[in-house]
Amino acid sequence: MNDFIEKSGDYLPILLNGVGITVSLTITALVIATLLGLVWALMRYSGIGPLVFISKTVVNTVRGIPILVQLFYIYFVLPEFGIDLSAFQAGAFGLGLAYSCYMAENFRAGLEAIDKGQIEAAHSIGMGWPLMMRRVILPQAVRTVLPPYGNTMIMLLKDTSQASVITVAELTMKGKLLAASTFDNMTVYTLVAVMYLVLSVPLLVLSGYLERRFGKK
Amino acid sequence: MIRLENIHKRFGELEVLKGIDCEVQQGEVVCLIGASGSGKSTLLRCVNGLETYEEGRLTIDGNLVDARSKDVRSLRTSVTMVFQRFNLFPHRTALENVTEGPIHVKGMARSEAIEMGHELLARMGLDAKAHTYPDSLSGGQQQRVAIARALAMQPRAILFDEPTSALDPELVGEVLEAMRGLADEGMTMLVVTHEMGFAREVSDRVLFMDQGRIVENGSAEQVLTNPQHERTQDFLRRVLER
Repeated sequence: MNDFIEKSGDYLPILLNGVGITVSLTITALVIATLLGLVWALMRYSGIGPLVFISKTVVNTVRGIPILVQLFYIYFVLPEFGIDLSAFQAGAFGLGLAYSCYMAENFRAGLEAIDKGQIEAAHSIGMGWPLMMRRVILPQAVRTVLPPYGNTMIMLLKDTSQASVITVAELTMKGKLLAASTFDNMTVYTLVAVMYLVLSVPLLVLSGYLERRFGKK
Repeated sequence: MIRLENIHKRFGELEVLKGIDCEVQQGEVVCLIGASGSGKSTLLRCVNGLETYEEGRLTIDGNLVDARSKDVRSLRTSVTMVFQRFNLFPHRTALENVTEGPIHVKGMARSEAIEMGHELLARMGLDAKAHTYPDSLSGGQQQRVAIARALAMQPRAILFDEPTSALDPELVGEVLEAMRGLADEGMTMLVVTHEMGFAREVSDRVLFMDQGRIVENGSAEQVLTNPQHERTQDFLRRVLER
């Protein structure tokens, strides 16, 4: 045990460096996923033929391809079309795009759970679509959407480890390198696992807070 | 003020309105009665632009109502609607439900809208509930808030779609009372209802609809006590026997 603590002291600075990248990757991808997801969901909800088609196509295509393959594609294939992203950019965009499709489905479920009478009531007092979404539909949808949203946030945090395959030096990547050079698999991977667990705590707290905040009307 | 000429409406194969002609004058209270499925609610929803119609001409003060055009929004602020299931915004208090339209649709100053909201709720006997959320209000109270919300748009007319059908029997009276108050003040009202007592006492005119057509159109006295059409006689016998 003493040995474990002593070695942890040595490994910690290196791993914490990875934690920093994992956190910024999670946050960047989460912002992209949330905004894009909202766009897909609103396009689908609009009922306007071409928009619905585009949204469905994107969501179903992206959902059907493994995140790993998407990351490889963005990092290794897009440069051939002149789109040259850094490893971090490619990771953030790839994860953001992949997760926007899961988010879109969460959001859609929330939107579709709202009684049609709400739409009619909004129309009957002269609201147009944007005002109705902002004042009537979205505030109610948020409540239904938050629990699955919290869940998706935590999945995203853990899936940032996949960005290690395109050389993003996040937590898992740092752990792998460290384990390979020290042969101390047990200490390193235990630390890595605990760090992910610790990182998920603020997300749990955040989603709990948001649920209370919006649950209260 | 509201004029319908030869309105036809189809849902796929089913023709629910088969050529409706009628007119509601300024200040008039018109009740629309008939069996369920006769097209009453659809007719009302066409007037509010919530449904499109395939044929005919529907105008409010001479302005064409077309659910697909942008102008339908301004028409909706001049003729607003009260629904069977209230459709209050559950995430807003009674007062906020009432002020929502004036502030966000009409751009009225917040303080002015709030003052008006309190007045309207007081008129509905509900000012004490101004800061209560809909889920803590009874059905009758919710419907009265919905009426206040409609009034807050300062409409030229209000459409009522079976406003008491979703209420427990003991709560029907308070809503009808509120509607009677509006009628007395000269509000133009088109009311789809099964409340024959209300139709008899309050309305200037009663229309009886059957299978997508208006088959009887006259004063409450005429239609309810001395109906000419066999369908109307049948319907009234069934309703009054209950």
